[in-house]
Amino acid sequence: MATTGVGPRRRVLLGALLAVGLGVLILLSALLGAVSIPIVLGLRILLHELSGGFLFPSACAGSGLTASQCSTRVLIVWQIYFPEVLLALLVGAALGLSGGALQGVFRNPLADPFLLGLSSGGTLGAATVYIYHVGLANADLYLPLFAFLGSAATGLLILAVARGRYGSVETLLLTGVALANLLSAVLSLVLLYNQQGSLQVTDWLLGGLGLADWNVDGIVLGSVLVFGTLLCVFGRELNLLQLGNDVAQSAGVDAARTRRRVLLLSSLLTAVAVAFTGIIGFVGLVSPHIVRRLFGTDYRRVLPGAAAVGALFLLGARDVSYLAFPGSVLPLGIFTAFAGVPFFLFLLYRQRRASTMGGL
Amino acid sequence: MAPGRAVHVAGLEVRFGERRALHGVDLDVPAGQFVGLAGPNGSGKTTLLRTLLGFVEPSAGVVELFGDPVAALPIRARARRVAWVPQSEVLRDDVPLLDYVLYGRYSLHGALDRDTAVDREVAGRALSEVGLLDRATDGIAGISGGERQRAVLARALAQETPLLLLDEPTTHLDIGHQIDLLARVRRLCEERGVTVIAALHDLNLAARFADRVVVLSRGLRVADGTPGAVLSEQLLARVWGVDAELGIDPGSGLPYLVPRRLVTEAPRALGDLTGGPVHVVGGGGAGAPAMRALVDAGFRVTAGALHLLDTDAETADALGVVAAVEGPFAPLGEPVRVRHRLLLAEARAIVIAPFPVGPSNLANLEDVRPFVHAVPTFLIAPRPGFELDFAGGAARQAREELKSMGAREVASAADAVAAVAAALAPAGRPAAPALPAER
Repeated sequence: MATTGVGPRRRVLLGALLAVGLGVLILLSALLGAVSIPIVLGLRILLHELSGGFLFPSACAGSGLTASQCSTRVLIVWQIYFPEVLLALLVGAALGLSGGALQGVFRNPLADPFLLGLSSGGTLGAATVYIYHVGLANADLYLPLFAFLGSAATGLLILAVARGRYGSVETLLLTGVALANLLSAVLSLVLLYNQQGSLQVTDWLLGGLGLADWNVDGIVLGSVLVFGTLLCVFGRELNLLQLGNDVAQSAGVDAARTRRRVLLLSSLLTAVAVAFTGIIGFVGLVSPHIVRRLFGTDYRRVLPGAAAVGALFLLGARDVSYLAFPGSVLPLGIFTAFAGVPFFLFLLYRQRRASTMGGL
Repeated sequence: MAPGRAVHVAGLEVRFGERRALHGVDLDVPAGQFVGLAGPNGSGKTTLLRTLLGFVEPSAGVVELFGDPVAALPIRARARRVAWVPQSEVLRDDVPLLDYVLYGRYSLHGALDRDTAVDREVAGRALSEVGLLDRATDGIAGISGGERQRAVLARALAQETPLLLLDEPTTHLDIGHQIDLLARVRRLCEERGVTVIAALHDLNLAARFADRVVVLSRGLRVADGTPGAVLSEQLLARVWGVDAELGIDPGSGLPYLVPRRLVTEAPRALGDLTGGPVHVVGGGGAGAPAMRALVDAGFRVTAGALHLLDTDAETADALGVVAAVEGPFAPLGEPVRVRHRLLLAEARAIVIAPFPVGPSNLANLEDVRPFVHAVPTFLIAPRPGFELDFAGGAARQAREELKSMGAREVASAADAVAAVAAALAPAGRPAAPALPAER
């Protein structure tokens, strides 16, 4: 049956295609940006830096550039574009994973990091920095920190509810939705009385990769590796949770504990993403659905798959934004929607069943 | 693990807030037994099963699985001892059947393990045991309801537990699939020594497949034993409030129950069992609705004169109605007519059913005649166009004469009951409304 996904051979083929596509996309993407770099020169610089100077010992040889022009190009490609590409991949992976895990744990195809108010919390945190000039001298440090704290605090609040006697799936989901609305209202109120800061906050709301550098990439990479790997271990549990708490429990899954842990890890992943890139919507919602369409509904595959698709998707959105509007930096959240929605709808209506999770 | 005893429950009490769902329940189930758990809705069957699974915490009492308290077993360890088949399982994702059954292997794995060859073998065997091996690669969304419940059973079997709990597993299945599913469970019990506790709504299915039937009512264990010892008319009346007829299936020697109607309290107010009976003159099945309606309304009922093997005679027998009965197809003989007249003489009201009258039972209408003056008498009118007279006009004439003597014609059995109730009601107290007649 078509709806059960694809056969194992096609699955391997699709996986390989995805990996190769990702590699090529990464290299080509690192040549795209606000300043255009010739492809050959860009590739030379990348391969030079990636091989630690072993390949193309002199990256700009034969390009007719002066030493300082050359070092500017190297700086742009290696210190700006490439970290940006990596950040797009890592944040995409974090959001995809988080969305996949949350959809699994809430048994709801609409669940994503933002439905639960995690993003609103982050935005409120960021707005605090912008508007009240908290440690403005170190804005680059405090902005991510406050955004992370706002996002993580929201996650922990939902988690605290999950520990108590109101920890049913529906209550948790509705708590998150209610919190998201409350936080949005608070944000609107704050912006209303601080008009001078609202432009910056709006910019933040639309999301972007502007903070990317090697340090940021290092932090995000570490978080995604640790939290993401831990999250992927819950594949079996999430599979069983789809059958309902009681059945999962009768089969040996501690449903409440699984829910708490998955929620915690997803919140942390989202918080890290929100901290450095602001609000990038749609990736967390769509990536798991795309994976389920292509690879079936086994969460042991859905979670890593959603990370890969999310990464690819966000990188694609970045590239599309630079290709469509060369020379300008536009908010990434706009392009995730432009690139993602048509593709998602195509997948959705290509098969007759309109939902990957059945019933909803 | 103490072999020999799968389940030990003693003094179990479960409370949900104020409400006590189970009180003082004791239950010991030896390994390998198939226990049918019966009881009306809300009697505590599901709560008992959920307590055994550790989903519900008892407020008092002991619950042990194979010698260990359930509460002391970690969830994963519990899942290696007891598996569960719910009434209907939510299946949101369309998973291939084999993968779905493999989910049941969870408790036997570490977090990072992959499915092993052993897992696949066990899952395959579970699928073949429920007869779905050929559908292993089909999506679970594409199979029928009966197959789906078997798939759920296979998922539970893949856990390879010595104890299997089923919560009304046949509720959404047709009769064929009900028997099929329970027969498969029965075979597992016999061949693999799996202990089974199944909550079953259908007592006849419980009697047929279980070694032992445990009946719960309002959180108490009210009966426990072999199906033959437990199932009785009294039990059904007491626990389910149903008036039933008990028979023994000649093929299997197992008891079966045919539920007749609710034993209700309220309608008793209409009739008065301490007073004299209401007599129904019938035959050919025409008297059955009136007899049923009167019994339901709480009247003591007599009937006559009927022929053996006739529907009315069988109905009278089933309802416990005292009747004057002649041999099959014979003209009413003098001894039967005497008995009939004695019953008529005792009656405090008479209902004459629209029964077909031929030469063999014309005497019925003649025998009523002396009593029409004495007690309220009602003639149920035949349905329009329905010919009753097979005695060359004598029957029609007799019915007209009865009317002229004071017998009142009513439209239906229900109307007859209402009229009887009104006629017998003590002065000043209006009769309660009659129940609609059955059928």
